[in-house]
Amino acid sequence: MICDNCHERPASVVVTQSKNGKTEERHLCDVCAAHFQPFQGDFGGDPLGIQQFLQNWFAGPGVFQNAQPQVESGPECQNCGLTFRRFIERGKFGCPECYSAFRKELPEVFNKVQGGHTKHEGKVPASYSGRIAAERKIKDLRRQMKEAINQEDFEHAAQLRDEVRELERSLEEGGGHDVVD
Amino acid sequence: MSSIENFLKNAVTPWMGPKGEYSNIVMSTRVRLARNMKGFRFPLDFSREEAEEVEQKVAAALEGMDDFSYIPMESVPAIQRQALVEKHLISPQLADPERPGSVALSGDESVSIMVNEEDHIRIQVIYPGLHLMEAYDRADEIDNRLEEALPYAFDGDFGYITSCPTNTGTGLRASVMLHLPALSITSNMARIAQAVARLGMTVRGSYGEGSDALGNVYQVSNQMTLGKSERDILMDLRDLTERLIEQEERARRALREHSPMKLEDRVWRSYGILTNARVLATDEAANRLSDVRLGIDMGIIPDVDLSVLNELMIFMQPAFLQQYAGETLQPGERDVFRAKLIRERIGMERGSGGAED
Repeated sequence: MICDNCHERPASVVVTQSKNGKTEERHLCDVCAAHFQPFQGDFGGDPLGIQQFLQNWFAGPGVFQNAQPQVESGPECQNCGLTFRRFIERGKFGCPECYSAFRKELPEVFNKVQGGHTKHEGKVPASYSGRIAAERKIKDLRRQMKEAINQEDFEHAAQLRDEVRELERSLEEGGGHDVVD
Repeated sequence: MSSIENFLKNAVTPWMGPKGEYSNIVMSTRVRLARNMKGFRFPLDFSREEAEEVEQKVAAALEGMDDFSYIPMESVPAIQRQALVEKHLISPQLADPERPGSVALSGDESVSIMVNEEDHIRIQVIYPGLHLMEAYDRADEIDNRLEEALPYAFDGDFGYITSCPTNTGTGLRASVMLHLPALSITSNMARIAQAVARLGMTVRGSYGEGSDALGNVYQVSNQMTLGKSERDILMDLRDLTERLIEQEERARRALREHSPMKLEDRVWRSYGILTNARVLATDEAANRLSDVRLGIDMGIIPDVDLSVLNELMIFMQPAFLQQYAGETLQPGERDVFRAKLIRERIGMERGSGGAED
């Protein structure tokens, strides 16, 4: 198939656009497809055309005209006020807190724009590794606490509970370095 | 000193040099890390006050680092901003006069730290030739030092937090700029672009508006930033690059074997045009430069250094042409100065190269 736009190169990308409930499909070569992306060049760093990927999120006929916006906008970031719906529309977060606000929805977003990957496997800042270690320890302590309760060893369970509390307090204070060996 | 020598003295940057692995095909390697600070909205939404606070914090964090000059974009005249873009040291977005932003440039211009571009911080390293690991290590080292002073936004699940979900995770975009004339001449690039996309990476033209591959220069980069370690991303890109180099070399051998005279004719015609033309539009200049570069690589044209072609690809762009001309140029005038610049630069090389008939 030849590209619908330049009529020269072979089409390798299908671009779907939804307008007023009507869906239009275009077959483009990768050169022309790139023109439909909001940013050009390496710096724009948007190689997949993220809006393309995400725009069908709220799909379903009539969503845009009839539905109540507050139902459809999804969670809202308490820090910057960006709604999940707005995020999907523009393809950009508002602030770092948005990641927490949309935590439940994000794996699916990343599944789409990051080729099926949803979890970071790379570098961890030194200041954060203390925090991760503390969080892992809390998880582990909670598990031990449950076991202790099951075995009706309430004294040990209480000890573990106090340890968890202390770790949590230090995490809230932004620490995490000192409590974990 | 002639005007061209003067111009070059101020304009050439080390990444244009002919050094580095596979430098006949790989023009440069670029690595970029996107980072943000907790407690500030991203540049797309932040207030003037937030922008200033981010700037101050990053500037303070950079203070101990020698050899960096911190340049607020508002202090840079439009034409020089454009020249920084053409040199790939800053992004077009950072050059936008409507937006705040700064850049910290290392003395040798191999490192540029963009402040308040799409993300609060973007650390970029450009090296000549294929040097992905080295470029990453340099960026990583700067990242570690900035992290000591700045409250980075990081999430245990999603990694480094960025304005765009296509950068989340490592925040790493690595790219290699390749000159692939033989694969282009033999109409193999469309097929390759598709194959590359299946590997989770992208190929696109490096120069010009949109993504036409001006001068057969392509940029290959990783698409995914999440779910893979930095090393794995870089290794995969390196493997792919090496395969592309291999294919390009094979296509060159095929050209030489099957149509040597056609190839030689094409190269020398282009050389003739570049050294004689009085008017050269961008796309013609780029294609002729690509032919001549191929001719030099394949030993058809002696006495011209490859770095000349690297330089000319950059300097034939509008902002540099105007710096060279020392005045504002209308598009038509640019074509005249482009022809003049290329003639003089190649002429200079032949003059010093000696043995010419």
